[in-house]
Amino acid sequence: MARNYPFSAIVGQEDMKLAILIAALDSSVGGVLVMGDRGTGKSTAVRALAALLPEMSSVQDCVYACDPNAPSGSCPVCDELRSRLKVGGKLKAIKKAVPVVDLPLGATEDRVIGALDIEKALSSGEKAYEPGLLAKAHRGFLYIDEVNLLEDHLVDLLIDVAASGANVVEREGLSIRHPARFVLVGSGNPEEGELRPQLLDRFGLAVEVKTPQEPKSRVEIIKRRDEFERNQTKFMEIWEKEDDIIRHQIQAGKKKLPTVKVDDAMLEKVTQLCSHLGTDGLRGELTLLRAARAYAALCGKNHVTLEHLKKIAVPALQHRLRRNPLDDSSSAVRVRRALEELFPETSK
Amino acid sequence: MENLDQSQEISKSVKLETWLRALQVAQLLVINPHGLGGVILRARSGPVRDRWVTYLNAVAQLGGMRLPLRKMPLGISDENLIGGIDLDQTLRTGKAVLRQGLLAQCDQQLLIMPMAERVEVGAAAKVVSALDNGFITIERDGQSRRIDSHFGVVALDEGIEDDEQPNEKIRQRTAFLLNLDIIGWRDLPETDDDFLPDAQSLQYALEHFSEVTASEDSLNALVGVAEQLGVISIRALNLAMSTAKCLAAFDREDEVTSMHLQRAIALVLSPRATRMPQSVPPEEEEIPPESDELPENEQDPLDQESPLPPPETPPKEQDEEQENDEQESESNAETPQTLEDEILEAAQAAIPPDILARLADLADLRTPKGMGGKTGAIKVGRMRGRPIGTMPGMPEGGKTLSIIDTLRAAVPWQAVRRAEMMAAGKFITPGKIFIRKEDFRIKRYQERTQTLTMFIVDASGSSAMHRLAEAKGAVELLLAECYIRRDQVAVMSFRGSTAELILAPTRSLVKAKRALIGLPGGGGTPLASAIDESFEIASASMRKGLTPALVFLTDGRANIAKDGSPGRPKAMEDAQQSARAASYYSFKSLWIDTSPQARDEGKAMAALLGSMYLPLPNAGANEVSQAIIQGLKRA
Repeated sequence: MARNYPFSAIVGQEDMKLAILIAALDSSVGGVLVMGDRGTGKSTAVRALAALLPEMSSVQDCVYACDPNAPSGSCPVCDELRSRLKVGGKLKAIKKAVPVVDLPLGATEDRVIGALDIEKALSSGEKAYEPGLLAKAHRGFLYIDEVNLLEDHLVDLLIDVAASGANVVEREGLSIRHPARFVLVGSGNPEEGELRPQLLDRFGLAVEVKTPQEPKSRVEIIKRRDEFERNQTKFMEIWEKEDDIIRHQIQAGKKKLPTVKVDDAMLEKVTQLCSHLGTDGLRGELTLLRAARAYAALCGKNHVTLEHLKKIAVPALQHRLRRNPLDDSSSAVRVRRALEELFPETSK
Repeated sequence: MENLDQSQEISKSVKLETWLRALQVAQLLVINPHGLGGVILRARSGPVRDRWVTYLNAVAQLGGMRLPLRKMPLGISDENLIGGIDLDQTLRTGKAVLRQGLLAQCDQQLLIMPMAERVEVGAAAKVVSALDNGFITIERDGQSRRIDSHFGVVALDEGIEDDEQPNEKIRQRTAFLLNLDIIGWRDLPETDDDFLPDAQSLQYALEHFSEVTASEDSLNALVGVAEQLGVISIRALNLAMSTAKCLAAFDREDEVTSMHLQRAIALVLSPRATRMPQSVPPEEEEIPPESDELPENEQDPLDQESPLPPPETPPKEQDEEQENDEQESESNAETPQTLEDEILEAAQAAIPPDILARLADLADLRTPKGMGGKTGAIKVGRMRGRPIGTMPGMPEGGKTLSIIDTLRAAVPWQAVRRAEMMAAGKFITPGKIFIRKEDFRIKRYQERTQTLTMFIVDASGSSAMHRLAEAKGAVELLLAECYIRRDQVAVMSFRGSTAELILAPTRSLVKAKRALIGLPGGGGTPLASAIDESFEIASASMRKGLTPALVFLTDGRANIAKDGSPGRPKAMEDAQQSARAASYYSFKSLWIDTSPQARDEGKAMAALLGSMYLPLPNAGANEVSQAIIQGLKRA
């Protein structure tokens, strides 16, 4: 099987790469939406993400790969396992790769939320639940390419599960509730249709990608692609080191994250910016705060500074602005404008 | 037949050359179907296209490809396209057996897509995802599987109008775009047998194309030329490189030579060109500004390489028949040599000498609106309804049985039914499943009738004065509204002597806004044409399953008649006649009178059309849009 193109070998597209790294570092930021031109490496970057993620510890016999430290009551399988433990016993934990699950177009509802296992039903008459993609993606990433072409009824499901973190299955005599906390990653081309605002809101960060115009990077892109296709093993070897560096950066950032401080002045700036832009609800503020913190952690800093905030404001807020059809400037421009108005560059 | 008049001007040699290029494309596709993605063949169904398909089959056979090539019918269900559960086998064996879909069956083959311009966007996206990944992900009917499949696409595009194009996603991923509509049956050579490649070379190319290397210079040259031609997509560059490699492998070369690169660029990039490297006349100021951006790179010894004539590419002008004996230096002499050289040097690229001629052809072939491959109208394919689950019921009267759900419904009862049958003393074959009438589940589709709101905006001089800006603003506000309801929107503007559809039905706000920004004003008021054409489009959209609603924003003062002649009385008469004819459709419509004072003309027209009439003295964009929203609710 062909391997995925390495993340570090992607030329340019810094905004997109940063957003993906932040989502990988802190899942509470809430996923990434990548919209833009065709053929700009959107799916390549997301698929490459899997190789960058540090392993996670999970309960050995749980099909949902739950966190051993998760509170009881969240997962039926873990609860069952726990009830069999002796007093004071601990669930067995193993290391597992963080799942990056593809939700392909044309997936049927039963595979997404899970359904009656038809084989078992036919052969033994047993009523067994077969977990779906949402279960598989628990604690990991759920990637939807062409997210704007996803069938409406699947979008409805996603919106619900992404908000509650639990998947409730009530069909074919099954009644199951299992944890499904995942980071949504979507990509698509805005010319083919827009996303429902409700779904849009579920994405923490949104980035726009454009085809690189600069000849040098264009040459570099096709050169690397050519090398990758001709000698994959060698190419992977070369970039493996670069990927390692990024992996360590994520790992270090994850450790650092709980200690990163945000002072009240910075919090005020966050609210100031959001109210100036008129974003709906509190999600904008929260995401901006979390993303800025994750970015600071990624940079190895102890405090969130204005620079971090500025860097992350566009992807965190641009998809939350009310549409103003009479203002032609893109939302990214509006966010930048607000940044300049509120926090003008202090000339030193 | 928008190309009819031009096609007479196209010389025979160009036609022959196009044909030979098409044949070469067929060879390349057999060598590396997946790597090259495929071809979009614009040609009406007919002898020319049949000849090409026959040739493709012949080459495929020589190359050892499995035959026959599979076809993807329009409106193919996901089940058949991607795969699903094989019911027969599943029931027989008691184990879930996967049935491969069409895409999986096409591995190492070419998938033929007839009427590619009508392929629904969802289906196209699935084909494209398989093209990108080299595998098909099945998450259906309780099956979760990944099947490798490497195939190429032969999209037979029968579109006539410029806006009927295969999905842009597919266009982006197929290396070749061919137009055979310019070739007539009589232009073809007697037989194509002479052009069949020998099996050994083909076999060699098949095995070795992946080992061919390309020098840094070739890569630079490729990017340079793409820049000159205005080809932005990185995919196109990759495809051109893969094509060059296949060509080199076919000639048993280990490295891509400049000749192969030239040929590949001609095949892949030229049809995607959005500008000419330099515009037509030999004027000095025509040098593109980029020409001085690149001098930091080394001078490529282009002149040493150019004596190699590209195979099968006769220069446009004085060449008569065959393709092999021509040196392009003569034809170059006719074009402004120095300028060309400058650009070539600046781009450091081996632009094929015939590329300008080719581009000129291309420009001719393009309809005036041609925007460099960006015209692909994306049709939203929900018209046949989306599946929304199942319900109990018998599969009759065109309803389809949902087999999986029927089985699921039957399964819990098996033990009971078995016991029942045993009790009744009936013999039971082991492994049998008892399905009863009450188990049957049928598929439900929601035929959501989407509304198409069509704005017919008067951009004539009289309206432009007062109202064009408000109308634009109102339309944009409404667009936002339509977007929330996921309706489709179209915009037609009329001014001067014609009505023009400036935005085909779409759901994309981005596109709609772009179309509106570029809306000019001024000129006469050809109201009759506007009514005729808008109702034509509306009725066409109804056939596609949409519910049209029309919003006219005009002062109703027609002054251009149907035949384009000025004069108010005739124009008004024509407009009234059109309105009377249009009223037969009884579409929902709204007439917004934008004149400063409400006039009887507008009211009369609205009455004829059966529209709701809303006079709007001095309203701003917000008022207009509110009025429309209210009006449409009532109408």
